[in-house]
Amino acid sequence: MLRRLLFAFVLLLLLSSVAGIALAQDAVSITVRCKASPPEEDWRCNNFAVVEEEVEAELGIEIDLNLIQDNAGWGDYKNEFVLASEAGEAPDIILSGHEDIGAWAPAGFIIPLDDVIGMHSEFDDIVPSLWDSHGYAGQIWGIPQDAEARPIFYSKLLLRDLGWSEEDIESLPDRVAAGEWTFADMLATAEAAIDEGIVDEGNGWWHRPSNGPDFLYYYYGHGGEVLDMEGNLVVDSEALVATYELLGGAVASGVLRSDVIGLDWNEVWHPTVAQADTVLFAAGGTWNWPNWAINYVADKGGDEFLFENIGLTLIPAMATGNAITLTHPLTYMISSGSENPDVALELIAAITTPEHNNKHAIDSFHLGILNAQLQSEAYANNRLLSSAHYMLDHTTALPNHPGWNAWSNAYFLGIQAVETGEADAAGAAEIAIAQMQNELGDGIAVR
Amino acid sequence: MSQQAEKREARSSRNALRSYLGAYGFMAPAGVLVVVFFLIPVAIILYLSVTNLASSNFTSNLAAMEYIGLRNYETLLNDQFARKIFFNTIFYVLFTLSIFNVSLALIVSLLTTHIDRGAGFVFRALWILPRITSPVVYILIWKRMMAEAPFGILNQFNNWLGMPTYNYIATNPWVFVVVVNGFIGLSFGMIIFTSAIESIPKDLLNASLVDGSSKLQRIRYVILPLIRWPLLFVFTYQTLSLLTSFVEIQLLTDGGPGLYRTEVWSLTAYHRALSNYFGNAQWGYGSAFAVLLVLIGVVLAVIYMRVFRFDELVAEPRVETL
Repeated sequence: MLRRLLFAFVLLLLLSSVAGIALAQDAVSITVRCKASPPEEDWRCNNFAVVEEEVEAELGIEIDLNLIQDNAGWGDYKNEFVLASEAGEAPDIILSGHEDIGAWAPAGFIIPLDDVIGMHSEFDDIVPSLWDSHGYAGQIWGIPQDAEARPIFYSKLLLRDLGWSEEDIESLPDRVAAGEWTFADMLATAEAAIDEGIVDEGNGWWHRPSNGPDFLYYYYGHGGEVLDMEGNLVVDSEALVATYELLGGAVASGVLRSDVIGLDWNEVWHPTVAQADTVLFAAGGTWNWPNWAINYVADKGGDEFLFENIGLTLIPAMATGNAITLTHPLTYMISSGSENPDVALELIAAITTPEHNNKHAIDSFHLGILNAQLQSEAYANNRLLSSAHYMLDHTTALPNHPGWNAWSNAYFLGIQAVETGEADAAGAAEIAIAQMQNELGDGIAVR
Repeated sequence: MSQQAEKREARSSRNALRSYLGAYGFMAPAGVLVVVFFLIPVAIILYLSVTNLASSNFTSNLAAMEYIGLRNYETLLNDQFARKIFFNTIFYVLFTLSIFNVSLALIVSLLTTHIDRGAGFVFRALWILPRITSPVVYILIWKRMMAEAPFGILNQFNNWLGMPTYNYIATNPWVFVVVVNGFIGLSFGMIIFTSAIESIPKDLLNASLVDGSSKLQRIRYVILPLIRWPLLFVFTYQTLSLLTSFVEIQLLTDGGPGLYRTEVWSLTAYHRALSNYFGNAQWGYGSAFAVLLVLIGVVLAVIYMRVFRFDELVAEPRVETL
């Protein structure tokens, strides 16, 4: 009896091992790499885990899904993908800024998706304008993951102190969108708040404290272009000087701190702006809101405190007369080293639905990417999203070009020069243009 | 030549060979390390510096990289801020080295070896803390201490005392770059100097006191001459170390504020080749910065070895040559 039992046990063990090996051989390994600020942006990668079984059932395969998600700095994160690609260890799916297409497509690290996008109806519903920022050399290289707006946050608290009525405050976004209330009005309001002692000198307006996409909308707002019709890099010197005059003038008038560049994001910038009692206007991103609600004003009521004391509006019109913002969609790209690009795309398609993208949009205050999503109840009824979605009609984007980093670093040098008083606007423009010409050579045209 | 003389000569040449092999054998592990971790990397970055390698054409296949001659060096020399970054580097090395890594390290060593042994040990242990603390944590502490009101600890005191508050690091970036790095560098010299002072024979030190010298005179005429070599070693080693160090500066000011106010050469190489907010790092161009840094380091090392006569340091003791 004992012998029979032992035999049965050994047989079972053997059968289960064989079955295990067979299953393991069939399993398709997919690695996804995401950058996300926890917890509000966790759906960027976690959504894949939600749809894993659904895709397995649809394709009749087993997927060995490996999600790698953290909040590394952008520079390190991007280098990691470049090095991993060259080492043959790149993740199958990489989530990054759309501007990386400009570097990774010519390097051959990601694959074009034109021929396969049509196979997934989910992608048909993506807001058409978002595809514009996913192209390079006439092809599409990524699937939008999210969109956002980079607005001006205004302190309702301080505007009330300045004598603004509730009606004035609540109608501000509409007046800005219509081009009635301009950037010059914003600076004048900030100056008035300083003169009346409502805010300290330098706290009338804060922009971001480090290099980043936001700065480009000041240049766009003055009619500047980064790419010409043929897709070559250009710099408009008049728009550049006007941009630097705006920023330098704001420092000279005491509206903007000369040392705002260099402030620590988490130690100073966010905690100060989120309180709504120190800075009148702050240029940020929609995703800042949940971060503030969770990390900086949770003890005061979180979202409710923010709704009561902070509003958001487009960047008021500058020389062009149009209010604008800038969206910087993150995009899922498929590595050229992926052995299963079809499965990777199937997974991306599965999460590109209103249901899944809404979770990310609502939790992290990023704007929707699908038309159906914009009409969905969860999205439409969300107070934050409904207050910002119209901004996509006024949006601009970064260019996808290998020379963009050299262009933007030179542009940022000019901003640093004019804000610290090391050069006037014309001098700052000379510095920026000289830097662009030195590094890009014939690759940049000065207009 | 007699048979005996021939045998003697053969034995002597065998001994000489054995002695050479022994010497090179002992040097071999260090030699391999130098080749693997210095000469080969230098050869690689030298090659990278004459290519246009970037994220947008990245490859690890040396043959596939596009050779562009000296164009990166031309771009570097035409960079309007290269001169500023170069002089920043000299300023940083000179001040950190002279104030902290040598002078203050020597003062701390002398003071802690002239007080109670236990107390001296405690003080030295405190001075070592910056070095054994992770750079990120160490810089975070400095930033927390010096942040503007109402966040910084120092500004909290200013508030309580009714004094104005400051954004200390942005206002005086160089002071903090030098101090923050100096506190780390100081401990290296302190350890070397302390062990050198401790190894001076006690009867020499006592004899000077018996002869009527004060403690200051004993330091000047007995201790300092006897720790000359450790002093020169620390001076040389720390110069080269500071030339290539940038982590603390990156974390503290990232080369700012403004136009490269505290940017040093090694940080520029890092920014160009390895870290860029918008991606597309310029590996080839960054390597050109790194190659010049290697060149400066090698030239300085040779100058130091000549000026400080390091051959005397490694020469056979005279008593052995008698």
